[in-house]
Amino acid sequence: MDREALAYGVAEILARHLGPEPSQRVLEAVVADMVLLVEKQEAAPGAGEHRLAVLTVLGHNQKGIVHAFSEVLAEHGADIADINQTIVHGNFAMMMVIDPSGCDVDLAGLKAVLKKRAEPLGVGVFLQYEDMLRAVNRV
Amino acid sequence: MTTAYTQREILETLRMAELEHFDVRTVTMGINLLDCAHDDPREAGRRVYEKLTRHARELPQTVTQIADELGIRVANRRISVSPVSLIATKPEPESYVIIAREIDRAASEMGFDFVGGYSALVHAGFTKAEEALIASIPQALSETKRLCSSVNAGSSRTGLNMDAVLKIASGLKETAYLTRSEGSIGCAKFVVFANAVEDNPFMAGAFHGTGLPEIVIHVGVSGPGVVCQAIKRAGPCDLRELADVVKRAAFKITRVGELIGRSVASRLDLPFGIVDLSLAPTPELGDSVGEVLEAMGLQRTGACGSTAALALLTDAVKKGGAMATSAVGGLSGAFIPVSEDAAMIAAVEEGVLSLEKLEAMTSVCSVGLDMVAVPGDTPAETLAGFIADELMIGVINHKTTAVRVIPAYGKKAGEKVSFGGLLGDAPIQELRTLSCGEFVRRGGLIPAPVTSLRN
Repeated sequence: MDREALAYGVAEILARHLGPEPSQRVLEAVVADMVLLVEKQEAAPGAGEHRLAVLTVLGHNQKGIVHAFSEVLAEHGADIADINQTIVHGNFAMMMVIDPSGCDVDLAGLKAVLKKRAEPLGVGVFLQYEDMLRAVNRV
Repeated sequence: MTTAYTQREILETLRMAELEHFDVRTVTMGINLLDCAHDDPREAGRRVYEKLTRHARELPQTVTQIADELGIRVANRRISVSPVSLIATKPEPESYVIIAREIDRAASEMGFDFVGGYSALVHAGFTKAEEALIASIPQALSETKRLCSSVNAGSSRTGLNMDAVLKIASGLKETAYLTRSEGSIGCAKFVVFANAVEDNPFMAGAFHGTGLPEIVIHVGVSGPGVVCQAIKRAGPCDLRELADVVKRAAFKITRVGELIGRSVASRLDLPFGIVDLSLAPTPELGDSVGEVLEAMGLQRTGACGSTAALALLTDAVKKGGAMATSAVGGLSGAFIPVSEDAAMIAAVEEGVLSLEKLEAMTSVCSVGLDMVAVPGDTPAETLAGFIADELMIGVINHKTTAVRVIPAYGKKAGEKVSFGGLLGDAPIQELRTLSCGEFVRRGGLIPAPVTSLRN
């Protein structure tokens, strides 16, 4: 069912329960308002979804590196949405898309604990909202 | 819905942000000050201070916070204000100096490095207030640290106001003298324009035009490093492909700039103005427009082919940027300031980049003769001729041109002045000593070109 048909359905239910049958003109106006409301909702940034962040870890490959960072994420309640790893010019690169919405710290706080965890491993950690990636790579 | 990014996309974006000196050069808040008018200049100054601190206080922290969340560096936070000559008050130089001090005090308290807009638009003649403001510029620039000043002395619609150019040339000499203990730094904070734009976020020429909203957020992006690395990676491709490489890089840079601008504007609940997609160098290595030209295949900036290469670069930057946002504005193109660009400084010091070649290059860059230093004993008339040459390139070609020249007091060609920070080091360049005095002293207006009759 498309957006407009759905709005018609909802409007008809409302009309049936709330009062005398409205004219076609009133019905159309109600539908138009509803479609506008839904569109506005859908267009709002981050509407109906959580703002995702991208965690990138770069450095020498070593045992336990994926574990180290996923452990920190789990401790603080960040959810891993996607995980990917590769070797670039002999260096290890791990990229995670995470959902930090359930986190017990804000993004800056999460970045701080991740950086602390990275220190003994000697790897670099970058954490940012996905906005820049989307702006640069998606049209 | 999760948008899956490829490994390449993630790593490329990270490389751009972390390794290639990419930063958003400035987030600039434009503020209307025309409602600060008052007969008593002290009261006008008080109102200016109050309005600036009321509206701009939140900006630095908001920008830092958003930059950190998005993983992008934002180098500067700045303010542009309405041309101060339009703030109605007693039209005497001292009045405007009082306002200048208040702007500087507000900027320093809130931690802004520059505020632009100590300006007058006199391309077709002076009002009393504009005459007073122009006369006050040397004192205002020598008594303040963060104030930037500009004068629009010509336009394609009205021609060139030579009387203004002469006043400015004398004013520059005075400013150089008053700030002689710091290498005549006052002149580095002043720019004279033809066809100045109302929404430029970059210093020293920023001002908040009268056609703009009450308060607005503009962004100036940069990124010569990103473009340079993209060109190097592309290898020996032909020129059309090269233009495409530049366009792609400019597209990405501009998208990031727009993202920052929109995010800051939305968090402060202000309208978003424009993205100025100019390649603006800094003295830092790897952040140079000259280096971009050299990566394109010139032995040194200033070699034959420099103007052609710069034309390709400026045009491709505009095309890439225009695809990335519908909010293009400001000067948008490539800046070639000498003292702020390591490769340009090297070319001047090796004697391969003369002022004449630089002038030719400015006919295809987005601004003009920027941050060039000339001998301190250059007569005001010669400076006026030097400025008039550059401005007429803009007037005739319907583009913005500008001059930011430092007649360094007590210095001769071959010496150097150091400003430190973003303003860099300027080698003093030889300027022709032949007289143009009789010509410029005729005064009056050079008429607008016939191409101005467009209606």
